[in-house]
Amino acid sequence: MQRLLGGPVGLYLACCLSLPVAAELDLAPIDAEQWDAAHAAHLLSRAGFGGTPQEVRALATMSPDNAVGLMVDGSKRRANNSEFQHSGVFEPGLDPFPPSRPATTAMAKAQGEALGVKVKAGGNRPLQPVVNKFFYWLRASRLETDRVAYWWANRMLLSEQPLEEKMALFWHGHFATNEDKVRDYRKMLLQLQTFQALGLGSFRELLIALAQDPAMLVFLDAGVNTKDSPNENFAREIMELFSMGVGNYGEADVQEAARAFTGWNVQGLQFVVNEAQHDTTQKTFLGHQGNFDGEEIIDLILQQPVTAEFIGSKIYRYFVSDALQSADQEQLGSLLRELDYNVGEYLRVLLLSRDFYSPDKRGERIKGPVEMMISTYRRMGLSEVPGVPDFNVVSGALGQRLMHPPTVAGWSEGRSWITPSLMFERGNFVLDVLFPDIGFVPPDRYPSYTAEIVNVQNRLRQGMSVSAATKPTGVDSDSTGMAASNMLTDADEDFNTRLGSMRGWQMALERVQPIPRRPAKLNLAEQVLQHELTTVAQVIDYWESLFFSVALNPEVKADLVRTLRSELGTDNLIDAQSYMEEPLRKVLHQMLSLPEYQLG
Amino acid sequence: MRRRQLLKSTAGLVTAGAWPLAAMAVDDAQSRPILVAIELSGGNDGLNSIVPHGDDAYYQQRPTLGIAKDQLLPLDDHFGFNPGMLGLQRLWQEGQLAIVHGCGYERPSFSHFTSMAYWHTAAPHSGNEFGWMGRVADQLANTRQEDMIINVAASQSLAVKSRHHTPLVFDDPARFQRRRWMQSTQDTPAQTHSGNRGFLHAVNTSAVTSSEKIRQAWRNYQTPVDYGIAPLDLPKVTACIQAGLPTQLYYVTFRNNAFDTHVQQPALHRRLLSYACDGIYGFIKDLERIGQAHRVMVMVFSEFGRRVPQNANMGTDHGSANVMFMAGHGIKGGHYGDLPSLTNLVDGDNLAYTTDFRQVYATAMEGWLGVPHEPVLGASFNTLPVFA
Repeated sequence: MQRLLGGPVGLYLACCLSLPVAAELDLAPIDAEQWDAAHAAHLLSRAGFGGTPQEVRALATMSPDNAVGLMVDGSKRRANNSEFQHSGVFEPGLDPFPPSRPATTAMAKAQGEALGVKVKAGGNRPLQPVVNKFFYWLRASRLETDRVAYWWANRMLLSEQPLEEKMALFWHGHFATNEDKVRDYRKMLLQLQTFQALGLGSFRELLIALAQDPAMLVFLDAGVNTKDSPNENFAREIMELFSMGVGNYGEADVQEAARAFTGWNVQGLQFVVNEAQHDTTQKTFLGHQGNFDGEEIIDLILQQPVTAEFIGSKIYRYFVSDALQSADQEQLGSLLRELDYNVGEYLRVLLLSRDFYSPDKRGERIKGPVEMMISTYRRMGLSEVPGVPDFNVVSGALGQRLMHPPTVAGWSEGRSWITPSLMFERGNFVLDVLFPDIGFVPPDRYPSYTAEIVNVQNRLRQGMSVSAATKPTGVDSDSTGMAASNMLTDADEDFNTRLGSMRGWQMALERVQPIPRRPAKLNLAEQVLQHELTTVAQVIDYWESLFFSVALNPEVKADLVRTLRSELGTDNLIDAQSYMEEPLRKVLHQMLSLPEYQLG
Repeated sequence: MRRRQLLKSTAGLVTAGAWPLAAMAVDDAQSRPILVAIELSGGNDGLNSIVPHGDDAYYQQRPTLGIAKDQLLPLDDHFGFNPGMLGLQRLWQEGQLAIVHGCGYERPSFSHFTSMAYWHTAAPHSGNEFGWMGRVADQLANTRQEDMIINVAASQSLAVKSRHHTPLVFDDPARFQRRRWMQSTQDTPAQTHSGNRGFLHAVNTSAVTSSEKIRQAWRNYQTPVDYGIAPLDLPKVTACIQAGLPTQLYYVTFRNNAFDTHVQQPALHRRLLSYACDGIYGFIKDLERIGQAHRVMVMVFSEFGRRVPQNANMGTDHGSANVMFMAGHGIKGGHYGDLPSLTNLVDGDNLAYTTDFRQVYATAMEGWLGVPHEPVLGASFNTLPVFA
């Protein structure tokens, strides 16, 4: 806080007060007298993943400065975040991993081995062991990445400093990297740990760390970035998506920056500069000339006012409101630049501002899927992320599978989270938590997304030949209508892809630790009684304040009260306490299926 | 040169009899024409899709990435299909594939997201709050109706965003259901609110109204047709058509920027094309099976093509002009649009576009749906004589 008052923020606020207020965001701090539980709940919901009644009460008794300070700086107690427990699926030979199965088999044919496996000296399908190993790592890395996502979700739920995780989630969407292409959970984990460690610090440090991040370098094909063939994709995405935004540089700048990043490469989990492949000649970038390297390019990018505007606005949209006027972007950019790109200090100003707490900003944000799920768990008082339903399957169905953003542009926020079918999925998630599905099949054991390999396995167990067992099920293969992709699958006698896919899954299952499959440990009846509620109407009021950021329609509430009363057969909770758990869950499901539950 | 002149002589003409269905004097919802837009996200390499083996410049620009003539699936004396494109080759042989060359726009953007937004809004360098297909729906009905547009996707495309209608967006039709617990959960009654709360209620109403129809359509659908391995959600479209939904506008995507082939392109590109083309061919065959092929036109696009010279990583970088495809029983197969030159490159080794992509949109609107294109596109474009 001293830094805030004595440092550039103090200066900023001082100069702010002397400016005319027209059309500006009101970033002056709110009055301490206004601070109450509703403000504290808003802060917890935006800067974290929502609060329990106890957390809201605790924050409400502090000053706004201290409450925001707690979110930004964390508590004095060291966070007792546990480390990720590796299953031990990695083996030498798997890194670097070839870009495709054809590339793997081509390498094996040329070199006699690939992925640490030799080509068979003779006999049937000599490349099959290599292909099996290829699929083993595809499956094992993906499954282990799902465990990383579980580990992260538990940190979001339990962290003493939820803003650190919320910010990591923001950066994961900003520097969007997908395991489908990286194909190495270790690199994904390393990147996530960078977001957690640096996410609230200097954006410059973060941007450099990400430009040198192994997962990012693989994801943007930086490994093939040589002075004879600069990789424009890497330079383009750094400018377009990670820092400046499109339209603020020319194609020539992209090509010049690409030359500065040449030689940047990755060896295993280490960033390396291949000096022989680095272009040391003169570059002209954004009007500057020099023999720039990658870091100097990043510093030139950071000098551009548009960079601070782009980053500052994106953070504002995420935490405050996506209804940001373009005229206000400049104000946010100046603030971020004056704070030397320190994200934590920038957030301290935003989260204390009158603008952040103004009535039109509260309860108007559409919660992202992961945020909605974790905040549901937090408010239900859970102490671990349930294993049923599967966190990754649900967040994926809702459009936000961690470690799998859809494109390098990350997730579109706001209204794009909601479609007619996703509206239902969100309510169905709540049902799956309150009434766990006894037909649940663990997706880290059963290959749900390639279920065909189970048929392959079954046919092999019946004693069928590999060729017969790997024909696609149910496809009319004798007609001329057979699809090219199905004809291709068994075209090469050196190996069989479907067999490899099946064996790969079997091998991965032996190595990847299973995800614990405990359902949510809930006791709604106890919670309700602990809060000394005695009537049905009090329960609905309590849940409204616990779960919702907007006031519900009185008729809707009256209907919920009627339903609960009829389920309980009484208005008196004490009389119903021995059997009220299921009726409570039924009505809570109905309540959290309301469209309003998606607002935060 | 002969080919160039031939193409020139047919491009830009609007044939009067080009409204095979729209002009029919029927207004039965189940006989109206249907347009299915297929997005190949990531920037499909058009030059390695419809390969100009008759042009030496192609092999000079792509000494190792160029596909030799004997590897191609036969098309004609100048072009061949990428070996993965068996599905579209079959449609070509059946006279149902229009290949539109040189599609693009002025001052191309090389950003996936910017260029895709231009294609989604049909408003390069200006933008529009609503998508082009959403605006077509607004032309078809200017008060809110359900099921105007179906977008099979995990999240809604900007292309279908409409002023009046809520596009029906779903991914897995079997999951498009509000699960209940012992009949207790009621659907939320419609409420009027502003801002995001109003938006959530509108979407909720759409979901309540349409989900059962979609689920039933999917339950009642099964097919012996081989759509290949990753059929672009087209079987779901067939299921909706078979169920007699009034929807005329469908939008599906080859997702996740898949066609962004910067590195080690050949095997990957061939595989992606085989998935897409298998899906499209299966779709047309399946529509024939259910007697609906005459109603449906398919339009295939990508946000840009790729740079003409290959890069050093056996791949290609972001480019500009590209081929588009229109397919279906109503289409007169052939080449449309002027061929871009492979020697007079512009904007950093890129093809100069010859056909504004909005001409193709306009063609689908005017010639297939019977919707005037000017109110949708805000300008007049020459349509292409692609209809049989």
